Amino acid sequence: MIGWLRHQKHALTAALRRLRMQALTTLLTALAMGVAISLPTGLYLVLGNLSGLAGDLPAQPEISVFLDTGVSTAQKQAIAARLKQADIAEARFVPKDDALAALSAAQDLADITAGLTQNPLPDAWIVRPHSTSREELARVADALGKLPGVAETHLDSQWADRLQAALAIGRTGVWLLTGLFAIALVAISGNAIRAQVLARRDEILVSRLIGATDRYIRRPFLYVGALQGLLGGLAAGGVLAVAGGILRAPVERLAGLYGSAFHLLPPTPVEIVAVLALTSLFGWLGAWFSVTRTLRQAEVAR
Amino acid sequence: MISFSQVTKRYPGGHEALSGVNLAIEQGELVFLIGHSGAGKSTLLKLIAAIERPTSGMVSVSGQNVGRLSHRAVPYLRRNIGLVFQDHKLLFDRNVIENVLLPLDIAGTDRREALKRARAVIDKVGLLKREKANPVSLSGGEQQRLCIARALVSRPALLLADEPTGNLDAGYAADIMAMFRDFHQVGTTLVIATHDDRAISALGGRTLRLDHGKVGEVSA
Repeated sequence: MIGWLRHQKHALTAALRRLRMQALTTLLTALAMGVAISLPTGLYLVLGNLSGLAGDLPAQPEISVFLDTGVSTAQKQAIAARLKQADIAEARFVPKDDALAALSAAQDLADITAGLTQNPLPDAWIVRPHSTSREELARVADALGKLPGVAETHLDSQWADRLQAALAIGRTGVWLLTGLFAIALVAISGNAIRAQVLARRDEILVSRLIGATDRYIRRPFLYVGALQGLLGGLAAGGVLAVAGGILRAPVERLAGLYGSAFHLLPPTPVEIVAVLALTSLFGWLGAWFSVTRTLRQAEVAR
Repeated sequence: MISFSQVTKRYPGGHEALSGVNLAIEQGELVFLIGHSGAGKSTLLKLIAAIERPTSGMVSVSGQNVGRLSHRAVPYLRRNIGLVFQDHKLLFDRNVIENVLLPLDIAGTDRREALKRARAVIDKVGLLKREKANPVSLSGGEQQRLCIARALVSRPALLLADEPTGNLDAGYAADIMAMFRDFHQVGTTLVIATHDDRAISALGGRTLRLDHGKVGEVSA
């Protein structure tokens, strides 16, 4: 155990020394990784902000229930009875004459409504259910729509549903991008490590001759890969912080124009740690593939 | 300690470096391998350290069948063998003491203990004042002594040297050989491939002559 720890420490210091000795290469690789990583993580942050925005909207979802023009009195009473059930918080009846009057007054459409020979609007109920969850709203609207005498129901939160659907697509996109850029990360790391393995051919050869195991030879390269991945993750953090700094003022101005006090949400510590852990993991993975493959080739050449 | 039984080594392309070699080397022996270049001296040493594998026959070191050793077991065999190369195989991206520390790092020796042992062995080969120097700045003889220090720092029971004085002038060569005699006197088994007749006569010991892949004993 102590020997194992000693080997890990030794490999870590060797890896740090190698990274420091090739500071420029390290920096450029970290930058390439950072730009690659910042795309999916940036999209992730944008989506997080958008769903935060959607969640912040004043939620007074209402269901408009439009009745058939030929609805019978019995049906009307049945509907009114249904709207007194426990899942409905409030229900307001809007007779079609009131609706027409309101339309004429409110929207300055008196000329048009005056020309009508009969009222084209249906009687309606404006219903506010107790629950504000989207699933529950959809269920209530669906149930009301199936009552006899109801022509159609209209859920006011439909635009929010559409936004949610769009965000869901966006989230799928994030995972797709993450997958693609994880591959890119493994490739960048693998390539950098391959160059290092080739540059250290002599050292590897000599180490093998004096009793180094493959594991001993591989270990510092794995640390280099993981550290390089970590630096890439930090570089991505830097890229996003700069982008956030540039975007903050215009976004808050736009939100202000809509009368909202919306602020850009920074990533949570958990998210930051998760991204850094993932980039380190993929850097490590790229190094592992590269070293294992190059060592096997060296084996054949020997 | 070392035994060869009917060992043949044929390289890809058909060149047969060793043909049907039988020999036995006891613990604590000092053995010189002589013969013209290409006679198979290096091949014989490489077979002992599992750098090459025999085409047929059996090579055994300390009771282990080296030719059949698994890939994973080879490093542990080599940790018990000190290797001295004609071209030194030093690492020029680190200084003298770091070169000597490498085998101990590989074996996972405690750092303080490792430094102590490295200093002791560097002192023994007379390079203590140069421990921070880069091997590039050392003379050929000093580089060879550094290579020997690296081979000995893990206190191997067996030391294999391939033309250790090949590139050195007479004074340095005598130095190196005197060093080998000291190690022999403390019980290390040494197998030295050389064509330096002066060294052999000075040190005594057993001499094996390789000729076209065959081994013959040379009586003193």
